[in-house]
Amino acid sequence: MASLQHPFQCLQYAKSNSHGLPNLLIAAAGRHLYSYDATSGQRLDVWPQDVESTVEPVSGTVPATEGDAPPEKRRKLSPASGGQQEQKPAGKKPLTGTTIPLLVTSPDGKYVIATTGDGKTIRVFELNHDGKLKELSSRMMPKRPSALALTPDGHTILCGDKFGDVYSLPLIPGEYVRKIVEQPVIPSATSLTVHTKGNLRTLEMQRLHAEKQAQTAKQETAALKFENHNIIGHVSVLSDLISVSVSGRSYILTGDRDEHIRVSRGIPQAHVIEQFCLGHTSLVSKLCVPSWAPHLLVSGDTNGNLFVWDWRNAEIHQNISLEDTLQSEAMVRGIWDVSLEQSGASGPVNVILVSLEGSSQLLCYTIEGNALRAQDSIQFSGNILGLIGIDSRGTVVVSVDTVRDAGSTDNWKSSSGALLESFQIIFGPGGLKCVQTEDTMVANINSVGTSDFPAGLDEKQQKEFNDSLYNLGNMKKKHYEE
Amino acid sequence: MTTPSLNKRQKREEYRRKLGEQTANDGEVKMPQKKFFRQRAHANVFSDHNLEYPRTPNHMDWSSLYPAFIDQDPTHTNLSGARKLLKDVEVIDIGCGFGETLILGLEIRTSVSDYVRSRIRALRLRQEQLKGTSQAPTTQQEETQAQTERLPDAPAPEDEVGTTDALVPGNYENISGIRANTMKFLPNFFRRGQLSKIFICFPDPHFKARKHKARIISESLNAEYAYLLRPGGMLYSITDVEEYHHWILRHFLVQEGEDVSAGSVKHLFERVEGEELENDPCVTVMSCETEESKKVTRNKGNKYVAVFRRKENPEWPA
Repeated sequence: MASLQHPFQCLQYAKSNSHGLPNLLIAAAGRHLYSYDATSGQRLDVWPQDVESTVEPVSGTVPATEGDAPPEKRRKLSPASGGQQEQKPAGKKPLTGTTIPLLVTSPDGKYVIATTGDGKTIRVFELNHDGKLKELSSRMMPKRPSALALTPDGHTILCGDKFGDVYSLPLIPGEYVRKIVEQPVIPSATSLTVHTKGNLRTLEMQRLHAEKQAQTAKQETAALKFENHNIIGHVSVLSDLISVSVSGRSYILTGDRDEHIRVSRGIPQAHVIEQFCLGHTSLVSKLCVPSWAPHLLVSGDTNGNLFVWDWRNAEIHQNISLEDTLQSEAMVRGIWDVSLEQSGASGPVNVILVSLEGSSQLLCYTIEGNALRAQDSIQFSGNILGLIGIDSRGTVVVSVDTVRDAGSTDNWKSSSGALLESFQIIFGPGGLKCVQTEDTMVANINSVGTSDFPAGLDEKQQKEFNDSLYNLGNMKKKHYEE
Repeated sequence: MTTPSLNKRQKREEYRRKLGEQTANDGEVKMPQKKFFRQRAHANVFSDHNLEYPRTPNHMDWSSLYPAFIDQDPTHTNLSGARKLLKDVEVIDIGCGFGETLILGLEIRTSVSDYVRSRIRALRLRQEQLKGTSQAPTTQQEETQAQTERLPDAPAPEDEVGTTDALVPGNYENISGIRANTMKFLPNFFRRGQLSKIFICFPDPHFKARKHKARIISESLNAEYAYLLRPGGMLYSITDVEEYHHWILRHFLVQEGEDVSAGSVKHLFERVEGEELENDPCVTVMSCETEESKKVTRNKGNKYVAVFRRKENPEWPA
């Protein structure tokens, strides 16, 4: 069987601000982070380092990785053997625990922020002039981040988690002296607040236990060992998070599983809630404030709704039901604002591109007035995972799922398709036209490829990979009768 | 063993159905009995339950909750097509329990909120009957004063709140209750700055430390309360758990040595103390008149009150 390669689940463009330095494409596939020259497509670096040599799967024991890289799970490969089971005893971490689900680049193109390890660790890398990834820091969050962003000034990481909390962390961690507030454990109930015999007995046990604890060594508190502030909290799963600056004011927009979009002020006033943009009917899966129209917010949910908002006033400009248009179930997965230089045109072409969970169709919109206007959609060879606009070339690059059939989140192919595809947008008399193009960079990246999936995955293991890449369906609320 | 519980449940349902059908013409209006509204003490605030909540505040149908306040112009409707009220709800009681007499009680436990609604319905019917027998004029507009002007002679069987044998101002038309998970959905019911008072009376203490994140007071929830309260609006809290009282103070007031460089919701509130607190009739009602407070009194428990005023938002950073 031909080998299957990890698709790029995340794609970012690091546009260099200084002359003479290359623009970079940063991508994550499986548990690896890659950096490419965005012109030639030459691979410049891969993290973690120890796999640089591998096109064939690594076997044997795990060599010590550089720095304090986590003990990433490496699978011993014994092809065509029934060894899968014994290697995966009950209670062991799942195969997919080591992907890089979230990836962000800084506005100046100098830093890359990714969640790695079991998805709980935030790592910051500096991009050297030769495109090398230099790891600066790694910080383990209390809960696995579900959304990651940088403030508009690029100095602060914002990170939201499944428990609805948003933390701010300095991009470059400074000296941090942890303050531990010693709090003796005192049961909060008293004989005045509980009355049943059982509760009173429990209370007495708690008191004895607390006394014992106080005598033994001081407990290690769960406090994090680096500077962080919990600045926003939803009592829900935080599904997306963006930070924008408009008219000199900065804002943080957060979406959750309970249909809410919350507009808060930026740091240090994130506790001031300016608005709730309410109207979605299910999990708010994606938020996008177009760089060229920052007064608008385009948001999508897992019921296939797209909304266009005057988000500072919580007013709805437009509501599009993609399930109605497409006549099928639809969950919005990605919304991108892309601005492309056009040779000969008076200004850049601005488009909003929308992808759906487990779909190979890219929906294309322009903004006219305060509303989206649908243009022809574009079909790709696989489900759309990531997208970047390379403005200087007028090209949009899309990463597609190489492994699953187009339109499916669980049907595995027998051999991989292309990792990246590209197209150009041409503004013609009949409206926008999208033309799929050949691009040297794309061709070079595709020819080198990423790392292979372990061979002979069983159904359960495949499902783990499916669920790690396509999790909207699982996150969406189930409606059940009481 | 399943049969008796099934019977019990059937009985309970039958009872509630009959209660719901009574009208003012049926002779003596029966007050609901709590034994038919049994409910576990806690509800999981993180689960999805089967909650009903409006998509936005403009979709909320208030007309069925406050029929006496419906705007007479039938063309005045909100986004869900429901008739509008003459005025907005602006006082809420979060976790109202078995029947505080405040303006809108929000309660997550189904049976408890059913009980509150049944009792309000019965109280309203009783008032209707009483109106028929006496000529006493009633006012329907004195919303916030209702609970403070309640007739003092009301005996309180079973700690019940609400007079059943005399006319009261407002005729209980100004109070209502709904089932809601306020930790998740308050902004679906109320607009920014719509509320003037929020009551949090004897909240579930969630004694275990790992359950503390389920507490109704936290810095992130306080930010939401600040969003709903207009500047000058008040948040009232009372608890019989001393540790929880300190928790509340800790989550509303900047602590000594606390790092607030990244900003803090505590800047949006100030504590109300001294004379102002003593003269606030709401504090008296909260500490002595509510059902839970009577229970605490009976058990000779302590009561800890903390009241906070919503300050103006800070200026945007330059």
